[in-house]
Amino acid sequence: MKKSLNLLLVTMMVFALALAGCGGGGEKKPADSGNGAAGDPQVEEFSLVVRHINVRATAQKTLKILEDVVKKTESEVPGLTFKLDGVEDTVNRDVKLKAEMQNNNQPPIFNLFGGADTQNYAKTGRLLNLTPILEELGLADQFYNLREFTVDGKVYGLPESGFVEGFFYNRKLFEEAGVQVPKTWEEFLKVCEALKAKGITPIALGAGGGDGWAANMLLNNLFVGLGGPEIQEGFVAGKSKWTDAPVVEAFKRIIDLKNKGYIDPNVLGLKYSQGQANFYTGKAAMLFDGSWAVSAITGQDSKVANDAGFFRMPNVGGGGDGYINGGWSNGYGFSGKLKEHELKAVKVFIKNFYTIENQTRGLVETSRIPSMKGVTDLSGANELTKSIGEQQASAKGAFPAFDAVVQQEVKVTLEGTIQEVLGGQISPEDAAKRLQEVQESANKK
Amino acid sequence: MNKIQRNLVAFAIFVVPALALYITFYLVPLFNSLQYSVTEWNGINDPVYTGLDNFQKAMQDEKFWVAFWNNIYFVLFSVFIQVPVIVVVSIMISSVRRMLDFYKLTVFLPSILSTASVGVIWQFIYAPDAGLLNQLLRSVGLESWAKIWLGDKTTAMFSILVTNGWQWTGFYIVLVLAAIFSIPKEMLEAGEIDGAVGWKKAWLLTIPLIRPVIVVTMLLSITGAMKAMDIVMIMTNGGPFHSTEVMATYMYKQAYSLSDFGYANAIAIIITIFTAILALVYHVINKRTEVDY
Repeated sequence: MKKSLNLLLVTMMVFALALAGCGGGGEKKPADSGNGAAGDPQVEEFSLVVRHINVRATAQKTLKILEDVVKKTESEVPGLTFKLDGVEDTVNRDVKLKAEMQNNNQPPIFNLFGGADTQNYAKTGRLLNLTPILEELGLADQFYNLREFTVDGKVYGLPESGFVEGFFYNRKLFEEAGVQVPKTWEEFLKVCEALKAKGITPIALGAGGGDGWAANMLLNNLFVGLGGPEIQEGFVAGKSKWTDAPVVEAFKRIIDLKNKGYIDPNVLGLKYSQGQANFYTGKAAMLFDGSWAVSAITGQDSKVANDAGFFRMPNVGGGGDGYINGGWSNGYGFSGKLKEHELKAVKVFIKNFYTIENQTRGLVETSRIPSMKGVTDLSGANELTKSIGEQQASAKGAFPAFDAVVQQEVKVTLEGTIQEVLGGQISPEDAAKRLQEVQESANKK
Repeated sequence: MNKIQRNLVAFAIFVVPALALYITFYLVPLFNSLQYSVTEWNGINDPVYTGLDNFQKAMQDEKFWVAFWNNIYFVLFSVFIQVPVIVVVSIMISSVRRMLDFYKLTVFLPSILSTASVGVIWQFIYAPDAGLLNQLLRSVGLESWAKIWLGDKTTAMFSILVTNGWQWTGFYIVLVLAAIFSIPKEMLEAGEIDGAVGWKKAWLLTIPLIRPVIVVTMLLSITGAMKAMDIVMIMTNGGPFHSTEVMATYMYKQAYSLSDFGYANAIAIIITIFTAILALVYHVINKRTEVDY
């Protein structure tokens, strides 16, 4: 008797748990167009989900900006409540949002990457065309660059911030080795040699495991430097090839850096973050990285927060000299199937979110490169951020990262190939040939 | 027993929930996967039927075969290195008189850790500069043995296999130990009186008597090795240059970094077929598994 009572209790508990689980899941659904039961009969209550990726401790300040916008928008739109739904960035990008897009139940407002993501979603009509809204709100000319969110002339997303890439360097170690910021590739090699002679690892880099992309940043800057921004623009159209001289030469220079011991010899045994850590703990003198690295370099674990500087890719003797690698590829997109009142709320959200004030906050508080023109007040920003701003401002122009231009297959192939190059497994010519083959087969699709 | 089988309602109460779960979470996805494996599908567009193209592509895909052979290394390592270690250690522990629980707990501990933690712990051990392994080698004067364990294609796969072995050995040891302790005392005593002591006893008595459990251990190791994924993803993510890719990580990459869901589903089906074939072959080899005490 007692046994069966126990069994019954256990069964009930299991059911209760299962039900609780279902309940939790159900609540997360966007409960649009409420029943308007509350008080005022004229104001219909509704809620909108905002999917964001600011879930890490380092993103708290970014989240705060979003929360402030949400509060402001709620106060301006009667009946509206926002539901913030934070999801880790790659999970959102590769799994969750993708699945939602497939079923056409994407949230009304969501974090979105430009490039291939935006193109795919726009083609299936899942994204809201923002072109008329930008006109209406007077935002059309306010952004630096919307190319990654533009498909067939229509804008489908708005970048929240941007990035530039270049060398971070440790001023103290440079002083120790008696070297200055290099202006040309020859000077750069001399700086590396001097650092190495002092027993300092010249370039920190972690490109092992799945992090081949970290080395591709440097490669990308080298071949654009040598061949000009047009070289990568031509890959898809077939106007230029991976087998062209600048790309092969870029591979050669990477091999040269590795063979001379300028790039950390452990490069394939380290993950991206470990490579970065070697720089900010003072073990290596330089780091080629994007401006997003500032938060780590000036963060709590950093030993070089006050000694870090930034310089653009030195002139390598080609058509891309003086340009800086930068892009505006992450921001927000909006669902293409909004109801009238939801669309109105989304417009207010855009108006409140994309302001110079928020962009300034993004730069000063979180060291993120603005996506909108007109940020002038840099007071409060750290020195490193300011110097990045200067390097960006003094560049001839910006070119996007190659992966925003070429197909995903090419990007993934290069991630494996650069590891082979660094590991001495493949010649520059063969590496270039392989990429061109992948590029051509991707172009045919 | 018969009473319940005759009472259809009671029968349904017991069977339907399990059956419903099985259908929803196993059969339906399996058929979905089959369906998508013969299409070209990027996850968003409407799938386009392409027949057996994806399977043909896999058969001609060099990287897929690298991944396949890595799975085979995984299996061979499990069967020929891990399982003997498991049996030897189990027999050693079973003959310990004092602190038996301590040993059992110690060997079992790694298997209660999540694979993610194990992967990260061993990444630290294998780290090129600050890693425990290289520091150990350097401190005993074996500087030249120090390697970039996970970044060198000659050592990376083996390093992962060792980690995987470390994680799961304890779990199987506990299984085998239980089998050893369930052998009737009188049989072992009779053997001892007949002169079977030490390793002779282990080889002639213990191992034949726990054969069924060893067979199960091997089977679990084989199927586990065929579908290995998490440990590789965390430790090397298939790198350097795809030298540690296994079929499952390759499948994952096709789906989630290349958005080629059709091909990924085809690979999933191939993994299922290969694993089934291996398990079947193994089953045939080990037909005679029952032991009567």
